[in-house]
Amino acid sequence: MMLARVADSLYWIGRYVERAEHVARLADIMLTATLDRAETAAQVARIALSAVGEATPEKIATPFESARGLALDRMDGSSVVSSLALARENARQVRDQITSETWERLNLVHLRLSGATAAKSFNDGSSAFLHDIIADLHLFKGAADATMSHGEGWRFLLLGAHLERAQLIGRLLEVCFGRGVERLDHPTLTAVLRMSCALEPYLRVYTADVRARPILEFLLLNAEFPRSIRFSTDEIEAHLSVLSRHTEAVHAGPGRLAGRLKARLQYADMAEIEREGSHVFLEGVLAECGAIHSGVYDAFVAYPLEMRLPA
Amino acid sequence: MATAQRSEEIDRALAQEAAETAAKADVKPPYDEMHAPDGSVRPHFAIMARRLAALGPGELDERQRTLERFFLLQGITFTVYGAESSTERIIPTDLLPRIIPADEWARIETGLVQRLQALNLFLADIYGERMILKDGVVPRELVLGAPSYRREMQGLYVPHQAYANVCGSDLIRQEDGEYAVLEDNLRVPSGVSYMLANREASKRTFPGTFRLAGVRQIDRYPDLLLTTLRSMAEWRPNPQVVVLTPGVYNSAYYEHAYLARLMGAPLVEGRDLVVHDNMVYMRTTTGLRRIDVIYRRVDDDFIDPLTFRRDSSLGVPGLFNAYRAGTVVMCNAPGTGVADDKAVYAYVPEIIRYNLGEEPILPNIETFICREPAQMSHVLANLDKLVVKAVGASGGYGMLIGPHASAAQREEFAQAIKADPENYIAQPTIQLSTAPCLIDGEVDARHVDLRPFILSGEKITVTPGALTRVALRKGSLVVNSSQGGGSKDTWVLAGPGDDLS
Repeated sequence: MMLARVADSLYWIGRYVERAEHVARLADIMLTATLDRAETAAQVARIALSAVGEATPEKIATPFESARGLALDRMDGSSVVSSLALARENARQVRDQITSETWERLNLVHLRLSGATAAKSFNDGSSAFLHDIIADLHLFKGAADATMSHGEGWRFLLLGAHLERAQLIGRLLEVCFGRGVERLDHPTLTAVLRMSCALEPYLRVYTADVRARPILEFLLLNAEFPRSIRFSTDEIEAHLSVLSRHTEAVHAGPGRLAGRLKARLQYADMAEIEREGSHVFLEGVLAECGAIHSGVYDAFVAYPLEMRLPA
Repeated sequence: MATAQRSEEIDRALAQEAAETAAKADVKPPYDEMHAPDGSVRPHFAIMARRLAALGPGELDERQRTLERFFLLQGITFTVYGAESSTERIIPTDLLPRIIPADEWARIETGLVQRLQALNLFLADIYGERMILKDGVVPRELVLGAPSYRREMQGLYVPHQAYANVCGSDLIRQEDGEYAVLEDNLRVPSGVSYMLANREASKRTFPGTFRLAGVRQIDRYPDLLLTTLRSMAEWRPNPQVVVLTPGVYNSAYYEHAYLARLMGAPLVEGRDLVVHDNMVYMRTTTGLRRIDVIYRRVDDDFIDPLTFRRDSSLGVPGLFNAYRAGTVVMCNAPGTGVADDKAVYAYVPEIIRYNLGEEPILPNIETFICREPAQMSHVLANLDKLVVKAVGASGGYGMLIGPHASAAQREEFAQAIKADPENYIAQPTIQLSTAPCLIDGEVDARHVDLRPFILSGEKITVTPGALTRVALRKGSLVVNSSQGGGSKDTWVLAGPGDDLS
């Protein structure tokens, strides 16, 4: 049992932190790619920028400024600084529900990013700056895991994180492979793996054979890699099935959707996906994620009161 | 609370005026907490004095910075909202603790218990039989006409007659070293989280000294608060307690969250609560759940738009009716503000004598009530030395600072007092004691006051500690955090019979 508003905030903290981490990583990889050939750099910038917003020719041509915008632009609602400010504001609203250790991690990275010296730190060493943010967010997740009770609140936090992750990776895959799979060169494909933090785990499965089709397969369907869509949908389903235990059957909408989505990925076949067109499959997955998001809201947060009054 | 805050600010402003006057007139110096008049260190400060002598100034500065970082990281901040962006500041904290010896504390403690007992009885009486008004001890119009009087509370049962479950009284120390009550805060007093956070900080800063000095523990406060709140709903086997906050934009939000966390009670906002059939529920992920005790940190006016202010969006429609029906308890009870009203304050010594048959242990600041003819003639004869306040007014209106006023202004007030004596009180200019503080790396004396916290439910308990507020500007008597005030830890030393906890 927890306050509906609190559950909502924890869910959004999960989402925002996940988003911040993803955007920071994309900015970092976009900057690293500027050391490659110009065509590759432009291609990577296009992918990174499209995956989290809009890739205009000007933005692609100025990767350093674009990366700084992704990290520090307060006017951009999906920048790292904006996401973390929102995560932290939500955390402040549920300060009594998260442990001090967890709060401290989030507060620290927020203070560093919103402080007066953030832009200077970025200019002095963008890679180290972005790397530290990602590392701090990992510490936040670790602190949450190690110090919060693995009860309802923690599950809402992780539900938000995995739903967001599934959508972020889904969007990235759509941008890369939605229009056919064989257009990207080797350095770009490597960059895509790094954008999903998947390079090393991928190599262990497929060895150094970096090609589009196995990448798509790995990021969609691998059962063990924590950023594959299948892994996230497993987690979403697991958390929702526990969370739905105490709500009446009539409110179990999101649990049913999550179960169906999980099964869809569990029993998917790569050849079949390709026959249909990977974009069709990805669009379906993203639509289902959107429906689960609304379902969570309707079932746990904004339910009609008449249905829940005590007898 | 807004009114209380304004009157508090006026008091501080007055105090500051007074200090400047005192400086000019070369009157008695303020009481020095650390040094006796002959310059020697008072015995209870000896351990700290030795420790300070052993520390280099750079070292103190370093510890001060560590402390500030600790506060920032924990989010022990208040938010200053600007037009473009908002910034968060930590409340300035001084790391040198103020120390109170056991015998002084014993007197403070018994005095505070006595005072709150009497004030709770007073509230039970005026919202009940009104004997004290019938007996003419406190003027009827003064109470029933006070803006903080809530006729909606008339005849309501309050368990244990504990109206002010949480009270934070402001004490000052006069030139002769005697503690006196400047103000009672019986509405929604705040600051207790700073008391607890300052303690964490000073333990980290002076661990050895802390242990050697024998400081009494305060960390049971959240536990005692929960016990107090639960004792207000004894008819329920395992009462559900919640903390009601106006929300994250309230300046004391950190404290609300902090107390909720340490009590293990949900922190709710008005929008989380629903009243149905005179029962109060909170909206949880698994439906509505009944609640029994609300530790509300929302002012009376904003509790329930159906009963009090209609434009309030912080409150819960129907909450007061549920309270009237006895299905839920609100702490503090609505309407407690009438007992910390500026005019009623003057009568507190009489209230103590009337309700308890005892002499007050802690004195008031001397207050002349112009409705009493003898006192009025004293006030009129000494207008150049006194501060005159209109009891009904707030926000700085209707006030005369005698020593600073022109002859014409004094004459104007003399006429006003004669025309409507019931509306005026007068007080001497007040002084605050000084305690050593760390200012720019140096130890220097600054003016301080003292806010202890008293809990009353089934019984009354005083936590052996307090928030000591500091006027960080030299010579200033303004201790408000919004105006350059800070705070510091308060060490209450254990006496022979005291358990440290």
